[in-house]
Amino acid sequence: MNLMLRFLVLAFPIAFIGMFYVLLSTEDTYPGADYKVFEIPEFSLPALDNSSYIDNSSLEGDFIINVWASWCITCRVEHPYLSKLSREGIKIIGLNYKDERNDAANWINKFGDPYDLIIHDIKGSLALDMGVTGAPETFLVKNGIVVAHYQGEVNQLIWNKVFQPIIDSKKINLK
Amino acid sequence: MIIEISHFLTIVATGLFFLVGCFAFIRSGDIFISKLISRTYSHGFLFLFSSFLIYVWLAVTDNFSVAYIANHSNTALPTFYKISSIWSAHEGSMFLWIIFLAAWGYLFNTKVDNKEVLKSKSIGIISFILVGFLSFLLLTSNPFETILPFAPSNGADINPVLQDPALAIHPPTLYLGYVGFVIPFACAIAFLIQGNSDIKWEELARKWSVVAWIFLTIGITLGSWWAYYELGWGGYWFWDPVENVALMPWLAATAFLHSLSVSIKSSNLRIWTILLSISVFSLSLFGTFIVRSGIIDSVHSFANDPERGLYLLGFIGTIIIFSMFLFVLRFPIIKSVGNIKSFSKESFISINNIFFGSLVFSVMLGVTYPLIYEYLYDQKISVGAPFYNAIFIPIVVIACLFLFFSIDSKWQRTIKLPFFGGATILSSLLATAATFLSTYLIVIKSVSIIVSLFAGFLLIFRYLIEISISLLKKKYLNPFSAVAHFSLGLLIISIAFNSILSTERAINIKINESEIYKDLNIYFQDIRVVNNSNHDAIKASFIIEDMNSNSYVLSPEKRKYFTRGQITTETAIHVTLLRDIYLTIGDQLDDGSWIVNIQINYLIRWIWISAILMSFAGLMLIFSKKRS
Repeated sequence: MNLMLRFLVLAFPIAFIGMFYVLLSTEDTYPGADYKVFEIPEFSLPALDNSSYIDNSSLEGDFIINVWASWCITCRVEHPYLSKLSREGIKIIGLNYKDERNDAANWINKFGDPYDLIIHDIKGSLALDMGVTGAPETFLVKNGIVVAHYQGEVNQLIWNKVFQPIIDSKKINLK
Repeated sequence: MIIEISHFLTIVATGLFFLVGCFAFIRSGDIFISKLISRTYSHGFLFLFSSFLIYVWLAVTDNFSVAYIANHSNTALPTFYKISSIWSAHEGSMFLWIIFLAAWGYLFNTKVDNKEVLKSKSIGIISFILVGFLSFLLLTSNPFETILPFAPSNGADINPVLQDPALAIHPPTLYLGYVGFVIPFACAIAFLIQGNSDIKWEELARKWSVVAWIFLTIGITLGSWWAYYELGWGGYWFWDPVENVALMPWLAATAFLHSLSVSIKSSNLRIWTILLSISVFSLSLFGTFIVRSGIIDSVHSFANDPERGLYLLGFIGTIIIFSMFLFVLRFPIIKSVGNIKSFSKESFISINNIFFGSLVFSVMLGVTYPLIYEYLYDQKISVGAPFYNAIFIPIVVIACLFLFFSIDSKWQRTIKLPFFGGATILSSLLATAATFLSTYLIVIKSVSIIVSLFAGFLLIFRYLIEISISLLKKKYLNPFSAVAHFSLGLLIISIAFNSILSTERAINIKINESEIYKDLNIYFQDIRVVNNSNHDAIKASFIIEDMNSNSYVLSPEKRKYFTRGQITTETAIHVTLLRDIYLTIGDQLDDGSWIVNIQINYLIRWIWISAILMSFAGLMLIFSKKRS
């Protein structure tokens, strides 16, 4: 076999693998992430402890909204990471989604509360308006405007790849 | 504690496999070393397998401190599904995949004698592949991760569409097929490393390849059947990217088996055979990569992160490039010595290799093109049935014609012209008549269907004649080839008839009303809510009556599962050999009527029957005594 043919036989798989490398290392390989910008819809819902009503005016500044429920196992897996973010001083608003008040309160008592505020959305109305399809989901909010949305478990990797670039580029101050 | 033991056993096994890999390439030809390698491999497998058994036990006993089990199983599940939940998502199914890989290696290790020259190196290659995948498992997708100190009291349940017996066995069967091709791959690579052209690696790999091919065939068939009745897709093949990545190794493997038969007989076509053995395994790995890297969206894709994709790509890339490099390096020793006579069996098989190669290449193009397009232009496009039909129909039809003429050909001999014997003429006449008759009766206008029918009939009649001749005159006929190719003919006409005859319609219908569709009278009897242990269902009953006044009840359902809130449709199918009546219910409209989708699928059972018949041909080959 001449040299040219040998080269071709080798070049084909290498080019093929190279192509997949390029495809994989582009950023939109995080299927749960989307960067549609929209305002938090008008809402008024009770807090989880039923002490008060929470509406748009209660949510000031920059923060993340985390959609969770006591029936959601992935939320349980995600919980330690949220606690870590909370310890770092990041402001997290909990959106308790389609959950019984008692179940949710027990869950918080048992595992700890990483949230600054918890909205109790038993019918999922606010969640519906925000485009939530399940739990857990997480929104990044700057002055009442959602700038990033992730469906699925947030961990260090997702934080670094999906949220951190937006936080840096839009100068969001979560603390 | 028990979790850690299981975890630890897997780590120890990884270490042992690494040692086996290293030993195998240090010294060869020493029987002491060969025995050591064989024994160490067996021990490694023993550790790995015990670890898996413990894992199964953890799943059966609902140990939710294991994060994976907590995420995919539930106390309410029957034991059978607790076990199958292990392969319902990425980590666990990867674990099973590796277990199968190791098990193939173990069987190879016990069945093949230590004196076999290529054995140690083959085992070494399998071990290195195992080390790569075990590290992938342990480093990026560890199924042993725990939720501590507070384990959840109950798990998240298995995805309801996976709670189905066909699906519980579809992935394992498919994996057995996929990873089974590690044996011919390892033998081929060992042969290339050894670099002695006198060694017959093909003989060593033959039966293993056929067994793997059988599993792959059955696995794909089961998947097709499951998608038909459980997913409610209502067809047998959708050119979904993940179906395609299973089809590619199958096509390559089929070509490989043909090519292998030539190389065993005469050491011809060795280049093809080695290239194909590398391709089959690479394509199986590629399938694993596609499904697990999240690079495509499909029903099959696992929740994913790109780091995994990069690791897999790196490892699979290394395997592929290493084997291709070796192939190029050893090219001089695998060149065929003799020439292939024109119109000999060998010549037909080498043409067949080209046909199958083109099919694999086209499917690969269909899978990757949308990815490249999206990357370049940021737009999603989909490559679907029209593309594949345009490519598959002409190639398959031409391949069938070649196959038809190849029946008369002999090994290493040119067939005497004119080779038109009585069987050729008779079967052509019968096929022409059958095609005309069906075209006339059903009014077929599509040329591609007519041509496919002709090709299918040609094979069916020809093999029926050949089989009768061989039975009557006791003339030798290769039984595996006859059964396999007869099933191919059956498959082609079933697909052709299915595509021309099958119809579907969505109708709006209220309770106590009836509707007529084709020859069927559909009466909507009632609809009610049914409560079950893990789901609520809306169950409708329809009474279907056909022309011959046979009537039967079909009850399609819509289910809502509690734990995940997922809604699934359960189809109701009336099965006969000729056709399936297939009902699904959709939503209720404001006027109280329901959307009901009805399909009449002709000959769809025969598509699966022919696939099973093909694998049966393979099974006959396995259990046949070797001809002298």
